[in-house]
This record gives sequence, C-alpha cells and structure tokens, in this order.
Amino acid sequence: MAATPTLPLKLLGRDWRGGELALIATALVLAVACVTAIAHFSDRLTRAMHIQSQTFLAAERVVRSSKPVDPAWTDEARDRGLERAETVSFASMLSAGEQFQFAAIKAVSAGYPLVGHLEMRTAADAPREVVSQGPGTGEVWLEPRLLPLLELQMGDRLQVGEAELLVTGLLDHEPDRSDNLFSMGARVMMNIADLPATNIIQPGSRVRYRYLFAGDDAALESYFKWLEPRLTEHQRVIDLREGQPRVASALDRAESFLFLAGSLAVLLASVAVGLAARRYSLRHTAYVAVMKSLGAGRAKVLQIYIGQLVALALCATVVGLLIGSLIQAQAVSLMADFFPVEPPPSSWNPLLVGLATGFACAFGFALPPLFRLARTDPMQTLRRDWSNPDRREWLGMVMGPTSMLLLIWWLSGSLPITLALFAGMALLVGGSALVNQLLVRGQLASLGGAWRIALGSLQRRAAFNTLLIAAFGTGLLAMLALVFARTTLIEEWRMQLPENAPNHFMFNIAPHDVERLQALLDENGIAATEIYPMVRGRLVAINDVPATGREEQAGALRRELNLSWTENLAPDNRIVAGDWWDRADEGVSVEVELAARLNLALGDKLRFSIGGLEVETHIASLRSLDWNSMRPNFYMLFAPGTLDDFPATYITSFYLPADQKLLVNDLVRNFPSVSLIELDKIIERIRDTIGQVSLAIESVMALMLVAGVLVLISGVRSSIAERLQEAAIIRTLGGRRGLLLKSLVIEFGLLGIAAGLLAAIGAEATLAVLAMRVFELPFSLHPLLWLAGPIAGALLVGIAGTLACRSSVSQPPLKVLRELA
Amino acid sequence: MSAMLRAESLSHRVPTSEGPLTLLNNISLQLARGESLAITGASGSGKSTLLGLLAGLDRPTEGRIWLAGDEITAMDEEQRAAVRARCVGFVFQTFQLLPGLTAQENVMLPSELRGDRNAAGRAAEFLGRVGLEHRLGHYPRQLSGGEQQRVAIARAFASFSGNDGILFADEPTGSLDAGNGEKVIDLLFELNAESATTLVLVTHEQRLAERCHSHLRMAAGEIQGADLQPRDGGNLSEVSA
Repeated sequence: MAATPTLPLKLLGRDWRGGELALIATALVLAVACVTAIAHFSDRLTRAMHIQSQTFLAAERVVRSSKPVDPAWTDEARDRGLERAETVSFASMLSAGEQFQFAAIKAVSAGYPLVGHLEMRTAADAPREVVSQGPGTGEVWLEPRLLPLLELQMGDRLQVGEAELLVTGLLDHEPDRSDNLFSMGARVMMNIADLPATNIIQPGSRVRYRYLFAGDDAALESYFKWLEPRLTEHQRVIDLREGQPRVASALDRAESFLFLAGSLAVLLASVAVGLAARRYSLRHTAYVAVMKSLGAGRAKVLQIYIGQLVALALCATVVGLLIGSLIQAQAVSLMADFFPVEPPPSSWNPLLVGLATGFACAFGFALPPLFRLARTDPMQTLRRDWSNPDRREWLGMVMGPTSMLLLIWWLSGSLPITLALFAGMALLVGGSALVNQLLVRGQLASLGGAWRIALGSLQRRAAFNTLLIAAFGTGLLAMLALVFARTTLIEEWRMQLPENAPNHFMFNIAPHDVERLQALLDENGIAATEIYPMVRGRLVAINDVPATGREEQAGALRRELNLSWTENLAPDNRIVAGDWWDRADEGVSVEVELAARLNLALGDKLRFSIGGLEVETHIASLRSLDWNSMRPNFYMLFAPGTLDDFPATYITSFYLPADQKLLVNDLVRNFPSVSLIELDKIIERIRDTIGQVSLAIESVMALMLVAGVLVLISGVRSSIAERLQEAAIIRTLGGRRGLLLKSLVIEFGLLGIAAGLLAAIGAEATLAVLAMRVFELPFSLHPLLWLAGPIAGALLVGIAGTLACRSSVSQPPLKVLRELA
Repeated sequence: MSAMLRAESLSHRVPTSEGPLTLLNNISLQLARGESLAITGASGSGKSTLLGLLAGLDRPTEGRIWLAGDEITAMDEEQRAAVRARCVGFVFQTFQLLPGLTAQENVMLPSELRGDRNAAGRAAEFLGRVGLEHRLGHYPRQLSGGEQQRVAIARAFASFSGNDGILFADEPTGSLDAGNGEKVIDLLFELNAESATTLVLVTHEQRLAERCHSHLRMAAGEIQGADLQPRDGGNLSEVSA
C-alpha cells in the first residue's frame, strides 16, 4: 500500500501556510544565491585570468630555452596539428648615422603572436593599428622613444649588427613584453628571417629563445607529455599559471576570502534552516501522531517528509541559482574595470556548487529533525502530549556541522582553512556565551519593570541568545573590519607618508639628459631625490658558488636586478653592518632583508653578470631601507666607479605639488625618451580598485547579516508560543502593551550591543593585524569602531527582533490564553 | 459471528525512576464484528492505554491481541500501521484535526495515505453523510467544536478500505457541550449501525456507555466489572479480568 506519489507535494503546498517552510526556503535561497554568485564571479574571473595569461604569453604554452631547440620538436608539434611561432630576444647596440643606442631586440617568426595582438603605428602621428603579425622581412619596428634617441625618421635605415633594416613602424604594444619597466633597452622588433644577416648571435651570446604553441587542449596536452622527457636544464615550459604570478596570487587570495565570507553566510543560513526545521518538526508532532494513528508507518512518514524536503530544496535552489546569477552579472558589470579582459560567460560549475550548497544545507540541518519526527509515538494522540523528546539529538549535532565542514572544505579547497574557520566560529560562540553571561548577571534588572522582563527573557533563552550574538557578531565583525580597513586604515597609511613624499618617478633617463633634467627641475623649484644611475645585472654566484638553484630563497635571483652606485647614503637608508664607503673603497652595500634571505654576510664575494660581462665584488655593508619612502631604492648599491664601464640609464623621483602639475607636460615634451610615472594617479587607481573589490565583498557581508536576521526570525518563531503566553499573562495581570514593547526593545537592543561589542573586539584585532602586517603601521585604537559596532548591533538586532516578536504583544490576551489552553 | 477484536491476558508496564509501573494488568476481552464496547473508569485507570494497545498504537508488555483476524502483537510497527490503515478509524477527544488542512483535506488524509486516487470524492461523500457538505473548504478554526468532531467522525469512517472496520473513540464528547455531544453521539451510532462497523468507546458518561452492547469498568489498570448485553440474534462479548 503506497501513498500517492504526489502526496508529499500536496502536503507541502498545504503546509506552506505554517510559515516555517517559507523560512527554510528563504534561508536556502540565501545560501544558494550567495555561493552561486561568488562561484560564478570567481569562475568568470578565473577564465578572464586564463585568457589574460594566454595573452601575456602570446601563446597557450611556451618553451623557453637558452639555446635553439632540436627542429624535430617543432616538426612534431606541426604533425600534431599545433600552431607554432618562435621569438629570439637579445640585447645589442644599434646605430643610425652617428647615433648609437643599446636596445632589447626581439626577432619574431611568422604567426607571432599566436594569442593576443600587436599595436603599432606607421608614423608618429598616425592612428594605432592592431595587427596580428610582426614586421616583414627587411623591416624593423621601434619603440617610439628610440626615434629621437637615434635621430631617426620613419623610412630611415637602421643598422642592426651587420644588417641594415628599414624602419616601417612604431611598436606601441606587444602581448608578451615580460621585461620590467626599468628594462635598459628600448624594444626593437624585427623578422626572424633577417637574424642570420645581422651576425649578432655568436657562441656565448646571451640569447633567449621562446617557442610558442597553441591549439586544441588535448593535442597540447599530448605534445607536452611527449616533450617533457626531452627537455634539458636549458629549457623550461611556461604555462598559464606563470603568465602573471603576482596578480594570480592576489586574485586567488581575494577568491578564497570571498568563498570564506560566503561560507560564513552559508553557515548562518544553515543554522536558520536547522532552527526552522526543528520548529517545523515540533509543530508537526501532532500531525505525525495523527497520521500514524490513521495507518501511516514510519517509512511512509519519512517518505512524505523527505519528499517535501527534496521538493522544497529543489525549488529554493533553483530560485537561489537564478538570484545568484543575477547578483553576479550585476557585480561583474560594476567591477568591469577590475577584470583584466572582458570576462567570458560562466561555466556550469557554479550552478553545481549552488546545487550542492542547497542540498547540503537542507539535508545536513533539516533531515535530523525529520528523522526525529518520524519516530513520533502515535500513543501521543491519546495522551494529548505533543512534546517531541529530543532523543538521538546527536544525529543533528553531528550531521549539520559535518555537512557544512565537507561543503566548506570543497568550496575553499583547503582543510586547514576550513578547520580554522570552524575553530574561529567556536571561539566566537564561546565569546558570545561569555558576553551573554555578563549581560544576564549584570545589575540591569534593578532598573525597573521593562528591564526585569527583558532580563528574565534573556536568562531563559541563554542558548539561543548565544547563537544570536555569535551570528550577528560574525556579520558585524566582517563588515566593520572591511569598512574600517577600506577607509580609516588606507587614510592612516597615506597620512604616515611624509608631507612632501615624492609623487612622480622618472626613469630611462639617458646620461646626456641628466644635466638638462636637473636644470629644468631646479628652474621650477622642484626638489628631486638624487638622480641615480642604473645598470641591470644578475647575481650569478655567491662566494664562487653558482646562485642557480637558490631561486626559492629569493625572487631577486630569478631576474635581473637594478644595480646602482652613489657616494651619499639616502636619508631613508641606514647602515646596519659594516661601513659606508670612503671614496677609495670598493664593494657593494646589500639590503639587509635580501641578505638575510640569501644568508649573506659582510665580506662575502658576489659575482654579477652584466650585459654578458662579469663583475666580482665583496659585501662592504648591509643596509636597511624604507620601501615606502617613494624614493628610488636598490637592493645593491655599488661603490662609485665600480660600474662606470657599463651603459647606464638614470632614475629619480620628486614631489610635484598639485598647482605645478602642468610641469609634467614640459617634462614629457622635453624628454620624449624618458618614462614618467605619476604616483598620485596610481594611488587614485588603487583606491578605486579597492573600492570596487570592497563593494563585492561588502555585498557578501550584507548577505551574512541577512542570514543573521533569518537566524533571529527562526529563533524567535521557536519561542513565539512561550512569548505569547508570557505576554498574555503579564497583560492579564495589568501590564501595559507599552511596557512589553519596551522590554522587547531592551532585550534585543542588549543582544545587539553584545554582538556589536564582540564584533568591535574582533574587528579591532583584525585591523591591528592588517595594520602591522600589511600596511606596516603602528597599532592604534579606533574609538569610532567601538562606538559604531554596538550602535549598529543595537539598531539592527533591536529593530529586527522587536518586529519579529511584535505579534506576541499585540494579540488580545484572552484569545491567546484560550488558544493555548 | 467471528471475533473482530480479541485480547488475551494483556498487561502493560512502563519503566519509571522508581521501578516499573503497571498500567494494565491481565486483561482479556473479545468483541464480535458489528458490536460496540464502552470502557469507563476514572482518570488514570488505564482506559486510554487499553484503547491504544487494542488499536495497535503500541505493543503490550505481555499478552496477545488479534484485530480483524491478524495477531497485531506479533507484528512490527510498519505492519501494525498497515492494519490500521486498512481497518481502524479514530475519533479523539480533542478532534485532532490538522489545523493547516481544510475539512475536506483532513478527511482525505487517510485515503491519500493508502494511495486512493479518489480521496477527494470519498471525503466529500463522508462529509455529506455527517451534514457538512457545505463546509468542505473550511479550516478547523472556522468550525465550531461540534462541527470539528463531525469532521473527525467523517475522517474515521473514511479510514476503512473494506467492510472490516473498527472504530476507536477516545472520549468523543469530552470537549463538547451537552447539546453538541448528544448530536455527535447520535451521528456516531447511526453511522456505526449503517456501516456495520465495530466500535470501542472510552467515555466518562454512563448514558453513553449504556448505548453500547458491552460496558467495561476499569480501575487501577484492572477490570472492575462488566455489563454484557445480548445482541439481537448474536453472541455475547466476553470479558475477563
């Protein structure tokens, strides 16, 4: 004998009027929407990053080599249907008439770039063209600043090694320009077919070969599997992950943070689901006892209620998925500038994540009360006793947290982070219990009638209040920390910069421009820092031991360093070991933190490779310095004279007041080959970006607070019958409605203040860590935070709680007492 | 006439902190198809416990019970529920209508639990028989106490899937005033006679007990006395303590 299959749905429709199901559905919608929005957002961000990384590589994968590779490798790629291209990069001196200039040359094959595009102009005043091929044979494209340096015009001939090439374009953008801004040579791009004619590449030349590949994922995968055993120590495969490692790790962190914040919202929503399901199960004890007396067995009861739960979870999840997708679309359009490229549409994965969240919340927290419900004793109909003994409560205690642990582990991808989150929550709940105890043990009851009623209610519902303080405490903590970090902390960081900290950097200054530039700055009363020479070189050996293989210790070994020299120690530099040199001294002064990472000590021998030549020196001193001073600073400062033989460019920084901003135009016009960075604009951009990112995070926090409100409503609903009875008795005994309302305001207001206080403590601690670790600021208290937390808590919880309970004081007492009887 | 309900040496004890408490002690009875039995006694005499055991809502600590020929004491909870779904109807003192369901939905419930596709039609028919055909869409809170109990009676009769119905009524007039109680009892006996169902009734009212074929008086979990009336052309119920 089976119940009709649609019976659970019919009963679901009838039960909807009860209210608990709507609450469960709302909490599920909230959790699913929150996680789906974040998953969509992160999915699209990852895909955008993927495309961006491919662009940075100009290919999907690249093999980098210091020697030409076996031609069989590229033949194999062709046979597997892959697209291929090749670039060869080296530094060399160019000449045009009497002018000479050191440049970074890149010879490119047909097909380059495989991903992304080049931007060039055919004349200085011509519009930019987006092209998908490099220069043709016999042609050369130059970075615009080379034209004045070499006194060249478009159509002139340029000597590159032994070859003479025609200048046909100005190169504005290349996707895989990986040299950093301070690269000594300006870019020159030529066709790879002209390379032999230049005769530049000789045995021992410092040349970087890059082999670019693109194509079908499976073909790429199988090709690189084939290639892997053939690679030597001279070759390295660069994939997407390495396209932009720093940006990727920053975004990874933002993504983890969003997921964690989302997980907290899910956790709170789950608590709301659990509370509502518990209330639902209690209210349905009579239902089930009657159904059982009418012949429904435990299996049928379970079938009906689980059927209802599945239908409810499915509907709520679908609505949540839709809302989450809409939120995400809105967030992406708000943060369009933050995305590296136009974000592609999302995959199916976020929908799967949303679905899993919906069902984990529903089943983890609502199933245990339903199991209890199915065990209802039908004899209760005769005893007229509707208590639902909480036997096997452990099932609920284990199942809910376990399902959340697994879900958050899956979402965050990290068990330690998940466990830390749970430990944090446990700590918060412990703190809430303590605050709650302090609250009810205080002497507030002596303040009068409404206070006594409110305090009595707080005492009777201690467990729920602890939960409530923790729920709102979490939401408020995250919100306060974020808002204060975004506003106060950044402002404090800006304030601690010296009044006239340099706000403009100039680099790539040619030696012959140094005096002219100094004169122009002096003429306008601009005090610049010293103009430092800069030579690029790589640290290749420490005490005659090659530095290769020690890249893990310091990123500085992975790239070329800016090497400089000066007679005068800058004001933000301080010698911590050894001595600053006299004129006759030799050696190098090393930044102390880098020295620590590389285990360097005074007197150690360092060997540098500069433009193919090697220079050996010893450590004369260790220096500490302030990277935030906005002055040019160097890991390695040489004694004057050591690097005189190497071609150098110069760098300086200066403070330009807002009313002298027009001087930037003069500088650009008079020194077209010099690069200028306007830091004030960059700081503005950083602030905008942080503002946009914060907006996304704050919207997740807002969802957390909504989840907190749901917990409150679910909790209040469970106690509403008790509250109705209390209110009815007090009113029968002559208590006025105003007194009861006042007691509600006091009760929830106090809970809000407690939550806000807890949030303020947590937020202040978070800000302290951020200030000291990230912004390198001294610890300081934020009095506004201690005021804002309790006020925001009192308002939020006070209003939401009083509204949720107002029906308990507005119903006529006689009606209440009769109904409850 | 075969026995519709038979109990043999029923005893029921529940554990308490002061040791086992005896609720029922060595009760035997037999009720033929179509007969009615009233159980009376003071509060705590064990009459509701006996009703619950006879209906298969719980299992006695000792003794055996046969309901419509099946030994329900040898069955597990699911099997007993199946027997209840087939041939047991209940009328409770406090009606036990589900407040979220309309009168018709309440009466439909037992048929729906059986998977009956004509639950709505059957519910309308039974509500018509108790004179509430105009109240199908009303919720319990919109009905008077007497009307609510009439809906509960309709639900009890809608519970039977065949001819072997047995109706258990636990103080059906306990929550009603005298006038409404009278009407409800008239209706109950009328329908019972029409449908030839067996009736087991727990009541405080002597007048109501007298309308039954048999009357069993209980005190402290034991049968204190029994009045057995001959049924026209039928057998006598047997009661022993």
